[in-house]
Amino acid sequence: MTGALRQVYWLLWKDLLLEVRRRDNLLSMFFFGLSLLFLFSFAFEITSDNVAGMAPGLLWLAFMFSGTLALGQLFQGDRENDCLDALLLAPMDRGAYYLAKVLFNFSLMALLEIFILPLFGILFRLDFWHLLPDVLLYTLLGTLGFCVVGVLFAAVTLRARARALLLPVLLFPLMIPVILGTVRTLQIILGAGAAPDLVPWFRLLVGFDLIFITAGFLLLEWVLDG
Amino acid sequence: MRFPPEPAILIAARRIFPIRNMVLSVRMDKVSKVYGLLWALREVRLEIAAGEWVALLGPNGAGKTTLLRLLAALSYPTSGAIELFGRRLPYGNSPLRGMIGFLAAGGHLYDNLTVSENLRFFVSLYRGDVTAEERQDVLGEVGLHEKTGEYVSTLSLGMRCRLAIAKWRLVNPRVLLVDEPYGALDPSGVEMLDRFLESLCAGGGIVVLASHDVPRVLQRCSRAVILNRGRIVFDEPRRDPWDSFHAAFDALLSSHDMDGTR
Amino acid sequence: MARRILGTLALILIVTGLYWGLVEAPPDARQGETQRIMYLHIPSILVAYLSFFIVFVGSCLYLWKGERRDDNLAHSAAEIGVLFTALTIVEGSIWGKPTWGVWWTWDARLTLTAILLLIFTGYLLLRSLIEDQRRAAVSGAILGIIGFLDIPLIHMSVYWWRTLHQPPSILRPDKAPWDNIDPAMLWPLGINFVAFLLLFFYLLSLRIHLGEVEEQARRDRLHDTA
Repeated sequence: MTGALRQVYWLLWKDLLLEVRRRDNLLSMFFFGLSLLFLFSFAFEITSDNVAGMAPGLLWLAFMFSGTLALGQLFQGDRENDCLDALLLAPMDRGAYYLAKVLFNFSLMALLEIFILPLFGILFRLDFWHLLPDVLLYTLLGTLGFCVVGVLFAAVTLRARARALLLPVLLFPLMIPVILGTVRTLQIILGAGAAPDLVPWFRLLVGFDLIFITAGFLLLEWVLDG
Repeated sequence: MRFPPEPAILIAARRIFPIRNMVLSVRMDKVSKVYGLLWALREVRLEIAAGEWVALLGPNGAGKTTLLRLLAALSYPTSGAIELFGRRLPYGNSPLRGMIGFLAAGGHLYDNLTVSENLRFFVSLYRGDVTAEERQDVLGEVGLHEKTGEYVSTLSLGMRCRLAIAKWRLVNPRVLLVDEPYGALDPSGVEMLDRFLESLCAGGGIVVLASHDVPRVLQRCSRAVILNRGRIVFDEPRRDPWDSFHAAFDALLSSHDMDGTR
Repeated sequence: MARRILGTLALILIVTGLYWGLVEAPPDARQGETQRIMYLHIPSILVAYLSFFIVFVGSCLYLWKGERRDDNLAHSAAEIGVLFTALTIVEGSIWGKPTWGVWWTWDARLTLTAILLLIFTGYLLLRSLIEDQRRAAVSGAILGIIGFLDIPLIHMSVYWWRTLHQPPSILRPDKAPWDNIDPAMLWPLGINFVAFLLLFFYLLSLRIHLGEVEEQARRDRLHDTA
């Protein structure tokens, strides 16, 4: 196991280093999220009365769309020069590769969310600064759920035709517990729902994360090899 | 986990009695690979003993790369069985994968990592972290000591190939599959590669080398296999003079429009 | 031959069940004649669930053993499952129009059925977009497993999100099924359920046979090529 953990470290080190050097994922995600915020302001009538109810849904749409964008690029770095073959050739623990990719995509999305959340508050005059730690906790919990399933399906669609379209088609229905879970909890936190409901949603999110991180850890081996 | 080296007595015995197939290490039994409606390989039988250097020859599309990829456990055969040292080929999550190396001329390197980062990263997947001296030594041996901090994207094809050689020197696999290495390397690089492959074979390792550079391959190999349209049409241990090989190869040449093979 | 008997039996039972349900059985005390769609609605959704369970089992078996037969089973069951799920939604709409006054409402069970349809049409889409057979089979198996594991979570989240549908009338934990419903209605329902099961297995065996024939034809063509 320590061997696998060491491999997670090196694989993540490699992905982060490449991202720091090229910055293409993070930059495009950030500008995509930003342009979505502007589109929202044109598409919806957002006032200080309804912003608390709408913010969670809009934020999650922005996070999910940008996250899907990142997932589509997740394996591109490894496909250049057939590096993926070199990785698969090595006695690399496939579960370690999965965990490294989940952690990498999670860090990209977390960085994006840390940018976007305050920006949203400023742009739409949502006064949630004192609630930010709670908001961030549930957002990250949902983001992890998005990544654990998303990475698996990014790998599944890797060799499919029209994969950029196929990925969201497969992913979004499977993501419904995450979407509902985070949107409802954020609404409750922002004061648009009853507080006792928070616990079952929290459990649902944690359960989702645990079930699918296990499933992805075990299943990625079949997806990649062959 | 690293595969234990072969007992010294076996290696010594092979030097004294160079009998072929004494230790059967790679066995392909009626292996076929189909892409769509195309036979890439068709019922290939191939047995390779430890210490052999097999040259894989044949026109483009004969199935050389498919064969190498199957031996590397990078793709599954459509039918048939492949054994490595008496065990099933290690697909998927297997520590035994460290036994197999695949040297591709230009590929398998990250452009935006430096030479030493690439080396460090790939070797870390096989064994505990390599010391800086070890890396420096091996880069010196392949003639890249001045390039350690450069991005791989700035390297020429030949230098990339040297870096790949450095990687496999550090990993030291039991079976090394080599795909068309000579095109990129300069004469000193070719010499260095050949010496490395020879030392690998002398230690009981196996080299399977696919190339179109027939004269160069014939200088070093211990056995030649010619593939044509997914089948093995010639398979003999080396001898001098090798009339049967030239006869088979000329027959292939005349039957084929061998574009890009000479 | 066995298949033909199965088909004939299914046909006879469906005709009997429909006649009994649509003509003989009394109309519902509250819903009147519209309730009669229940005799189709409940059997079709139960059969749809059964087929998705078979997709799950076939997918697990395929990943475990790697046999084409198991993949063929999963693929066949998915196609039939999609058919019955779509049928259920259409029936639900037909029933919903006179009962609720709308063709569609975001009721929990309707939504859930629609999500099932999305996931498993995604399954068929994914398979059709991957050229390599082994890879298509593996990708399908992954989606079959993840989708099935996700169903309880989606179920929970959608139910918490909203419940408007009438509570289930047949399968209730507090009462045996036959206590909840007039025996005059239970009989045709039971017959229809058995009939749909037979129909399902008839279609499944046909589809599996089709898959085998296709495989054989592919192999024949392959051996014809030099």
